[in-house]
Amino acid sequence: MANREWLAVAVLATPAAGVVLSALVPQRALARVAMVTAIAAGSVSATLATVALADPGSPQLGRWIVVDAAGGLLVGVIGIVGLASTLVSPPVLGHGHGSLFRPLRAERVYWVTLFAFWTVLLAVPLAANLGAAWLAIEATTAASALLVGFSGRARALEAGWKYLILTSLGLGVALLGILVLTAAAGGGGLETLTWRSLPHATLDPDVTLVAYVLLLAGLAAKIGWAPVHNWLPDAHSEAPAPVSALLSAALLPAVLLVAWRSQQALAPTIGAHTAGSVLVAFGLVSLAVAVPFLWRSQAWKRLLAYSSLEHMGVIALGIGFGGPLALAGVTVHIVGHAIAKALGFYAATPLLGHEPRASGHAVGGIGRTQPALGASLGISLGALAGLPPSPLFVSEVLIVAGGFQAGRPWAAGAAAILLALGFLGLAHALIDTVIGKPRRRDRDAAPGLRAVTALTAVAVAALLALTVAALWLPGSGIVDGLLRGLA
Amino acid sequence: MTAGFSWAMVALGIGVVVFRRRSVAVGLVTTQALLLALEALRDASSARDAAAALALGARGVALAVFFWLLVHRTRETRPVRAGTEPLARGGAAVALALVLVWLIPDLGLDSAAAERSALTLVALGLVTAATRRATVFQVLGIVLVENGLAVAALALPGSSSLAIEIGITVDLLLIAVVAGVFHERIFAEFGAGDSAALGSLRG
Repeated sequence: MANREWLAVAVLATPAAGVVLSALVPQRALARVAMVTAIAAGSVSATLATVALADPGSPQLGRWIVVDAAGGLLVGVIGIVGLASTLVSPPVLGHGHGSLFRPLRAERVYWVTLFAFWTVLLAVPLAANLGAAWLAIEATTAASALLVGFSGRARALEAGWKYLILTSLGLGVALLGILVLTAAAGGGGLETLTWRSLPHATLDPDVTLVAYVLLLAGLAAKIGWAPVHNWLPDAHSEAPAPVSALLSAALLPAVLLVAWRSQQALAPTIGAHTAGSVLVAFGLVSLAVAVPFLWRSQAWKRLLAYSSLEHMGVIALGIGFGGPLALAGVTVHIVGHAIAKALGFYAATPLLGHEPRASGHAVGGIGRTQPALGASLGISLGALAGLPPSPLFVSEVLIVAGGFQAGRPWAAGAAAILLALGFLGLAHALIDTVIGKPRRRDRDAAPGLRAVTALTAVAVAALLALTVAALWLPGSGIVDGLLRGLA
Repeated sequence: MTAGFSWAMVALGIGVVVFRRRSVAVGLVTTQALLLALEALRDASSARDAAAALALGARGVALAVFFWLLVHRTRETRPVRAGTEPLARGGAAVALALVLVWLIPDLGLDSAAAERSALTLVALGLVTAATRRATVFQVLGIVLVENGLAVAALALPGSSSLAIEIGITVDLLLIAVVAGVFHERIFAEFGAGDSAALGSLRG
């Protein structure tokens, strides 16, 4: 195995060690061991991301593992969000409410399941073939469903159940697509389904198109694209905040990467325009469905969930448009969305401590009663809305411009209008949440606020750096690497 | 793969859609899984194929034991009413199966009967999960879909990947175990494994 492949193995082995350690160490040492393992896992992931992005022109493709620019980007995002989610987990576990599991076991089960989820999540962008990627995605469902229902509250049970059933059925449809593709390729094992061999396979275009549509329709249920997004608002609202951050900022784009790789692999058979059109359709429908919900008064985490629907739609549009501008936009959007969305979910823990009604109702004037918390919420929502200088403003401009560049003016125009409407909805929520009329007068300390304030400072620096990088990205080697794919 | 085997799989699947009792449905799905393993063993031409057949058999037995335990531990005074009548469920399943068979072109599997039976089982699984309120039946819907996909995998030209087949088996078992954890908690909370009780929370 090459050096990069060994590094990829280390990326998977480190959080996997977290699973074993969390299961074995004494209860009093659990949180400390989890922190140390998470720091190691985050560092190894960041190293792999740096290596992959520093040399985007020469992807490493083995039988089981691939290390390329797109995969490196996602591994970096998953590693950093996983680390941050671990760091902010203790206040969530310390609140003393009930759980899906027995009280004595709950904390241990949380850490074991969180590291298991993190491990399989990292396997998704590193999987070198469609079959293995599907297996990793399906495995994320089992681990994350337990985390969604972790609180054991009736609503969390509903959210976890809905997530488990809908995404499993969706992935069943995706597997049907994979089988159709395997049959079209004349059978065979793993070699048929590798990202490198698929673009060169001799396939019937009609059957391949059916396989592609089935595959994307199935993955859509997991990505949360409309119209198969029903689990998303409930799961994001009911999961513990660090898990919601992992679901939204890491899981959704990781599965989206598999859709992207499938598009690149099958485009030579079904045509680049057709392959892109399916993604553009999912993107526009997701945006159109999300916008009315962004205009409504929503509970904080539910608002973030509908914003995920919007942003996964934007990324689908960028991939569907293809081209250097749109893919530069996609790169910035994946990273910027991860930072801003994770921060928003992390801020939910002190927010719920400060204002318990926030679990089911919109909040107002938090900046007046808790200025530090208000700043965190405002920065997250402002960045997600695409308020300049947010990198998401630059990425959305790049993606829409990429649509015109790709010769899809109607789709690009519709996207621009929907994005403007989404911006107005989120801007209204931003004003209400931060400087609106407060619904609570006292200024109780909010649990976990110090950690969130520190993360906010890091997030602001990262978002500003990303905005600067976004201006340099079009025409860079990274975008060239993304355009070439793995063929 | 014979046409008789393919249609026996479909007949067992229709039983899951229309029958009321969980234990009967579990028996039907288990029979399907064991038939699949036997068919895979009959067709096996190499040690790898035989290992894949054994994996299918192990999956069938593991799921049967698991569902039996689940039903035994969460005995209900009477079966959970489905939101839709059996005839309507059966009709919806047949209609969806016909649409899928009509929409999807020739897949290139070993036989046309295998193609139709695989697509029909996927349709039956989707309709079971969508129209049954009992949580156990919703999980059985997922198993039906996977059984349909196993029929398609058996009828693939050439050999398939043993690693992937074992992976799919493990994944399905994991999903079933997690669903079992939820089912038991839902049963403890509401006194019945009824997904409609969950939906009523929002009212």
